[in-house]
Amino acid sequence: MSAVARPLALAEVLARGDIWRGDTLASLPETAISSGHAALDAELPGGGWPQGNLTEILVDRNGFGEMHLLLPALIQLSAAGGWLALVAPPWLPYAPAWAAAGLALERLVIIQAGKDTAWCCEQLLASGGFAGVLAWPAASIEAPALRRLQVAAEGRSTFVCLWRSASVAMTPSPAPLRVELAAGDGVLRVRILKRRGRPAARALDLSIHRPGRLPRALAGPSLSLAGARSATSAPVT
Amino acid sequence: MLALEALPLRQSPSALVSRGRVLLCDAQASGAGVKSGQKLSTALGLQPGLTVFEWDDARELEALTSLACWAGCLTPSVSLLLPATLLLEISGCLRLFGGAEAIVQAALAGCSAQSYSTSWALAPTPLAAHWLARAGSNAIHDELPAMEEALASLSCAAPGWSAEIQNRLEAFGVKSLGDLRKLPTAGLRRRIGNEPLDDLARAWGELPHPQKAFVFPESFERKIELPSRVEHAEALVFVAQRLFAMLAGWLHARQLLVRTCTLRLRHDDDSSHDLILRFSEPAADEARFVRLLREHLGRLQLAGPVEVLSLIADEVLGKPGASAHLFDQAATGEGALACLERLQVRLGDGAVQILGKNPDYRPECATKLQAVAEKIPAFKASTATFKAARPLWLLPSPQALGERGGKPHWHGPLQLLSRAERLESGWWDEGEAAATGDIRRDYFVARNPQGQWAWVFRDAQGWYLHGLFA
Repeated sequence: MSAVARPLALAEVLARGDIWRGDTLASLPETAISSGHAALDAELPGGGWPQGNLTEILVDRNGFGEMHLLLPALIQLSAAGGWLALVAPPWLPYAPAWAAAGLALERLVIIQAGKDTAWCCEQLLASGGFAGVLAWPAASIEAPALRRLQVAAEGRSTFVCLWRSASVAMTPSPAPLRVELAAGDGVLRVRILKRRGRPAARALDLSIHRPGRLPRALAGPSLSLAGARSATSAPVT
Repeated sequence: MLALEALPLRQSPSALVSRGRVLLCDAQASGAGVKSGQKLSTALGLQPGLTVFEWDDARELEALTSLACWAGCLTPSVSLLLPATLLLEISGCLRLFGGAEAIVQAALAGCSAQSYSTSWALAPTPLAAHWLARAGSNAIHDELPAMEEALASLSCAAPGWSAEIQNRLEAFGVKSLGDLRKLPTAGLRRRIGNEPLDDLARAWGELPHPQKAFVFPESFERKIELPSRVEHAEALVFVAQRLFAMLAGWLHARQLLVRTCTLRLRHDDDSSHDLILRFSEPAADEARFVRLLREHLGRLQLAGPVEVLSLIADEVLGKPGASAHLFDQAATGEGALACLERLQVRLGDGAVQILGKNPDYRPECATKLQAVAEKIPAFKASTATFKAARPLWLLPSPQALGERGGKPHWHGPLQLLSRAERLESGWWDEGEAAATGDIRRDYFVARNPQGQWAWVFRDAQGWYLHGLFA
């Protein structure tokens, strides 16, 4: 009798799975592992570090808590019986500290891959046996190698994280998630350069556990991000 | 053809000869008119370039045994029917492989990978399968009526009865086994003896026909003589693959896993080179063996041409039972340990290691990297309690820091955030080569103006940067 379709409410249309609104994060059915920081999880598509996609972490210096940002996720993966691999780390891991952080050392592999870092990561991903792969590729790693890694990562339940220099922030990369880290004053400043969905507007300040007692004198005005980035710094080693 | 194909250095046309008469010949020779039973001189007249080999039953048996080992991957009940037939009892494995066709395809693919030509048949009784295969049926007769029909049309020569019986049957005017079955049994028994009639009853499934099962050997050692001398290591992969297929079949049939095996390459000057394949966890997967072998052979420089390959399983252990998942959670990829053992071969010794702790106060000595192995004891968490902070990363060697106004400098003045932690240890390896030696250091957590946390120490020589609180 009523051939005329009932007018749809706007809310019903918006609730459909194939309607995407420009101001929401992509809600792809991608798996993610919680980063352990609620503020960061809210900003990451999927609610955490992506599994099965490349993540690039760009840092211009080291020793300001960048690894502690990943530790909660790594601990979860390790506790679930997963294997973790550190490929071509620039320093030596200090085993007691990794154990004290809660990682199962017997499933933590250190691979000195030299110039084969990208190949090595690809093999680790293809094996399907690793829950987390952290790699420090050479600065000269090229876009085709990164694309191969992204293809190898797709469909795997592996958290893959490439540590790269902040100087490549403006260079395009196939990684769906790129995060730049910088030191703030007693906080870790996380700027999401690229993610699926709308671009992130502002940087996040996360409080990260730091050793030692911070004297009161240090609690001054925070270092600006621009200031921190423009400061010249020689490589650590 | 097995006896002929078991020979190394075979070139076409070739024939096998026993007591001056041709026993077998290959396709090219038979095209020229060479037949089994001919005199050698006749055969050479028909095919002047014929390569002649003396029949070697030991070698034939060896080849059949190798093939039986390989067949362990299809079914555990294998029987050898000398000289050249392998009988596989597959009724128990049909579900596993998904039907008779699938298992036949797997068997044929395996045989051709082992570079043997086959004629085969599948039938409900062993003798029927044997006769049909010898007659070159190459078909599946999995129902009894279909088998009976196929058997009835076989000629009386197919069972391989003695010449006397065959002549007599010919004199009766009996052409096929079907005709023979129609004759009255009692009279036949009197005239040609019991053996052919019992065989017929067994083939038709009227008499039981138990088979002597092939006993898979206690230890695995098989060799293959290469058809030609091989000078490039990578070319060995294809032959070695045959050996590994045999090993996988043998392991499967005996329900074992191998941890170490040796591939022995014998050179033409009788020297040999052993390639030891170590698996980080016991394995029984042919593809995994071959992947690791490829990595090894990719790095190997041959000292000379290789003539014989042999494979020895050095360390085998029982396969533990494992529960499978109800819903198939298909794990894609080879798995962590298999991947690591391959990377280890490619990247060299010491490139792939597992983190471990060493009970030593000296930071340089507290980490012990160890080779990847299946079972690494989990460390007790209780030993990891430090009162003072410890960094995740250590520099490969302490980096000397400048000092200005009594303060260490690292991208700016370092502010010390903790009390001194005195580490004084290591008198026992003082003076030894490559040892850390006696240390006496005060460690501090420090921070520079750029927000980097460092682990620094002061000793008699001055300030050093030793770790990063990443």
